[in-house]
Amino acid sequence: MGTDPETVAQVRAWNAECLQCHVGDSLHEQGKGLFNLPKAANKSDRISPKFTASNHGNMACKTCHVGAFLSYPHVAEEISKKAETLGCNECHAQESFRVEAQVAKSVHSKNLKDNFTCSTCHDPHVVASAKKLGSVHKLVAQDNAMCMECHNSDKKFAEFGGKVLPDKKRPDIDKIHEWLPNTQRHWQAARCIDCHTPPVKANASLSVSHEILNKDKAQKNCSTCHAQDSALRTGLYRHIKETEAKEMGFANAAFLRNSYVVGATRNIYLDLLGLIMVGGTIGGVSLHGLLRILAARRRKS
Amino acid sequence: MSTRVFILPIWIRIWHWTNALLIIILSVSGASLHFADPELVLVPFALAARIHDLAGLALVAAYSFFAIANVVTGNWWQYVPKPEGFIKKCVRQVRFYAWGIFHGEIPPYPPTPKNNFNAMQQIVYWFIMYLVMPVLLITGVIFMWPDLAPKSVFGYDGLMPVAVLHYLAALVIVSFMFAHIYLGTTGHKISTHFKMMITGWHEH
Ligand code: HEC
Ligand code: HEC
Ligand code: HEC
Ligand code: HEC
Ligand code: HEC
Ligand code: HEC
Ligand code: HEM
Repeated sequence: MGTDPETVAQVRAWNAECLQCHVGDSLHEQGKGLFNLPKAANKSDRISPKFTASNHGNMACKTCHVGAFLSYPHVAEEISKKAETLGCNECHAQESFRVEAQVAKSVHSKNLKDNFTCSTCHDPHVVASAKKLGSVHKLVAQDNAMCMECHNSDKKFAEFGGKVLPDKKRPDIDKIHEWLPNTQRHWQAARCIDCHTPPVKANASLSVSHEILNKDKAQKNCSTCHAQDSALRTGLYRHIKETEAKEMGFANAAFLRNSYVVGATRNIYLDLLGLIMVGGTIGGVSLHGLLRILAARRRKS
Repeated sequence: MSTRVFILPIWIRIWHWTNALLIIILSVSGASLHFADPELVLVPFALAARIHDLAGLALVAAYSFFAIANVVTGNWWQYVPKPEGFIKKCVRQVRFYAWGIFHGEIPPYPPTPKNNFNAMQQIVYWFIMYLVMPVLLITGVIFMWPDLAPKSVFGYDGLMPVAVLHYLAALVIVSFMFAHIYLGTTGHKISTHFKMMITGWHEH
C-alpha cells in the first residue's frame, strides 16, 4: 500500500504474478472478467481499471490473500485447508464493529439463517466509495447493482433464500414498486438503501446504515426526498460539500447536476416571482373590486 | 327592456368549463408538488402527482379538441387582433376599467356574435391560448416522460429547463385565471358574463 511510484511499481509487479493465472472472473463481476483483459500488452495491465480505480486498487493481492496463497502455484486442496483471506474487520476494525451489528439486525440476517458476509454485497476488488467514484450516478449504479444481483435474478435469489424459504418466489422489483412513478428513473437516481435503511444523522461517522428494514418499515413518503429539506442531502449527496450552496437561486443545487427533483430543487427567485405575479394579481383585482363597491355606494347615495 | 343575443355555441361552453375545472385541479396539485413539504401538506405528494398526471393528460385532450374545433368552426378568427383602430379600442377598454366602471358606465364593447371579444381580450387570449398554453402542455408532456428531455443542459440535468419553463408558464396561467375570473364580473351586471358562459346568451 502506498502511492509513491516505487511502491506502486512494486505492487504492480507482485499483482502481475497473480494475474498470470487469475484471468477469470471476480466475485461479483461474473462474465465481465475483472482480471481478464487478455488483449493488454503488458501482463500487469491485464487488471481491469475497475480494480485500480477502487479503494483497494493500489493494494497488493497478497495483502489480503495470505497464508497458502503466498506460495504459488497454490493447490486447491491446500487452499481450502490453510489459506486465508483477511476479513474486512482486520483492517476496518471500527467500521466493521458497527456495520456487523447493523447487518445482524437486517431482514436478511433475521429471515435468512445463512447470514450475509460483507463480500456477499461488496466485491472487495471493485468496491469504491462515493468520493472515489466522483459521480452520484455511478454511486447509485454501484449500490443498486449490489441489491439487484439477487433481487433481479431468480437463480441468485433462490441460492440465498431457497434453503430457508423454499416457497418464497422472487418478487419482481418493478412490480413491487409500481406505486412509485417513473420507477426506472428512480432506480438510476436514488439508491435502494435510501428507502430501505433508517436515515443516518448528518454528522455520523458512517455515511450509510446497513440495517435493511422490514418491508413494512420502508420509506413510502415521497416528501422525505421531494422537499426542500430533502433526506437526499444527508443521504446520497452527503459527500458533496456544496449541498448547502445555492446556485442561481436553486435550493439543493448539488442535485441538479444529476437530477431535477420536484419539490427539492426549487428556485428562490422564481418562487419570489410567483409570489409577485399571483399575489399581485389577486391583490390588484381585490383592490379594484373594493373600489367598485365603494363607487357604487357613493353613486347610490 | 333587455335584449338577448345568442353568442356562445355549446361546444365552446362545454370546453370552457372543462378547461376551467382542469386548470383549477392542476393549479392545486401543481402547487402541492412544487411546494412539497412533509409538514405542510395541501395534497399529499403521491396523490398530487397522480391527479396532476391525469388532469394534465385531460387538459392536453381538451386543448386538442379546442384547437381542432377552432379551425373547423372558424372560431379562431375571434382571437386574432384586428389592426384597424386596435390601439384606440384598447385605450377605450383600459379607460373603462380605470375610470368608467367606477362611474356607472357600461362596457364600451359588449360581445356580439361577430365580435365576441374586445380588443384587450383578443390580444391577451391570443397570448394565453396560442403561446403560453402550448408551452405549458409541451413541457408537461416532457415532464411526464422525462426520457424525452435532453440528458443534460449546461451541466445541469436536462429536465431542469423543462421544469422551469413549465413553472413559469403555470405562473402566467394561474395569474391569468384570477384576473380572468374577476374580469368576468365587469359585464353589464356582475352576473352577465357568467350567465352567458352557461346559457350562451348575452343579455343586456
Ligand atoms: C481488500 C482485500 C483484497 C484484495 C486487495 C484482493 N482480494 Fe481477492 N478476494 C478478497 C476477498 C474477501 C475474496 C472473497 C473470499 C471469499 O469470500 O471466499 C476474494 C476472492 C478472490 C478470488 C476468488 C474469486 C471467486 O470468484 O471465488 C480471486 C481469484 C481473487 N480474490 C484474486 C485476487 C487478485 C488476483 C487480487 C489482486 C489483483 C486480489 N484478489 C486482491 C479480498 C481481496
Ligand atoms: C488489508 C487491509 C484491508 C482489508 C482486508 C480490507 N480493506 Fe477496505 N480498505 C483498506 C484501505 C487501506 C482502505 C483505504 C483506501 C482509501 O483511502 O482509498 C480501504 C477502503 C475501503 C472502503 C472505502 C472507504 C470507506 O471506508 O468508505 C470500503 C467501502 C472498504 N474498504 C470495504 C472493504 C470491505 C467490504 C472489505 C472486506 C471484503 C475490506 N474493505 C477489506 C484496507 C483493507
Ligand atoms: C446487503 C448488502 C451489504 C452488506 C451485506 C454489507 N454492505 Fe457495506 N455497504 C453496502 C452499501 C449499499 C453501501 C453504500 C455505499 C455508498 O453509497 O457509499 C455500503 C457501504 C459500506 C461502507 C462505506 C460506509 C461509509 O461510511 O461510506 C463500508 C465501510 C462497508 N459498507 C463495510 C461493510 C462491512 C464491513 C460489511 C460486513 C460486516 C458490509 N459492509 C456488508 C451494502 C452492504
Ligand atoms: C445475496 C442475495 C441478496 C442481496 C445481495 C440482497 N438481497 Fe434482499 N433479499 C434476499 C432474499 C433471498 C430475500 C428474501 C427474504 C425474505 O423474504 O424474508 C430478500 C429480502 C429483502 C427484502 C424484503 C424483506 C421483507 O420484509 O420481506 C428487502 C426490503 C430487501 N431484501 C432489500 C435489499 C436491499 C436494499 C439490498 C441491497 C442493499 C438487498 N436486499 C440485497 C437476497 C438478497
Ligand atoms: C422510494 C423508496 C424506495 C426505493 C428507492 C426502493 N424501495 Fe423497495 N420498497 C419500498 C417500499 C415502501 C416497500 C414496501 C412496499 C409495499 O409494502 O407495498 C418496498 C418493498 C421492497 C421489497 C419487498 C418485496 C416483498 O413484497 O417481499 C423488496 C425486496 C425491495 N423493496 C427491494 C428494493 C430494491 C432492490 C430497490 C433498489 C433497486 C428498492 N427496493 C428501492 C420503497 C422503496
Ligand atoms: C429516495 C428519495 C425519493 C423518494 C422517497 C421518492 N423520490 Fe421521486 N425522485 C427522486 C429522485 C432523485 C428523482 C430524480 C430522478 C431523475 O433524475 O430522473 C425523482 C423523480 C421523480 C419524478 C419525476 C420528476 C422529477 O422530479 O424528476 C416523479 C414524478 C417522482 N419522483 C415522484 C415520486 C413519488 C410520487 C414518490 C412517492 C411515492 C417519490 N417520487 C418518492 C427521489 C425520490
Ligand atoms: C394550469 C395548468 C398547470 C399548472 C398550474 C401546472 C403546474 C405544475 C407545477 C407547479 C409543477 C411542479 C413543477 C416544479 O416543481 O418544478 C408541475 C409538475 C408537473 N406537471 Fe404541471 N401544471 C399544469 C399543467 C400540466 C399539464 C397540461 C401537464 C401534462 C401534459 C402537466 C404535467 C406535469 C408533470 C408530469 C409534472 C411533474 C410531476 C408529476 O409527474 O406529477 N402539467 N406542474
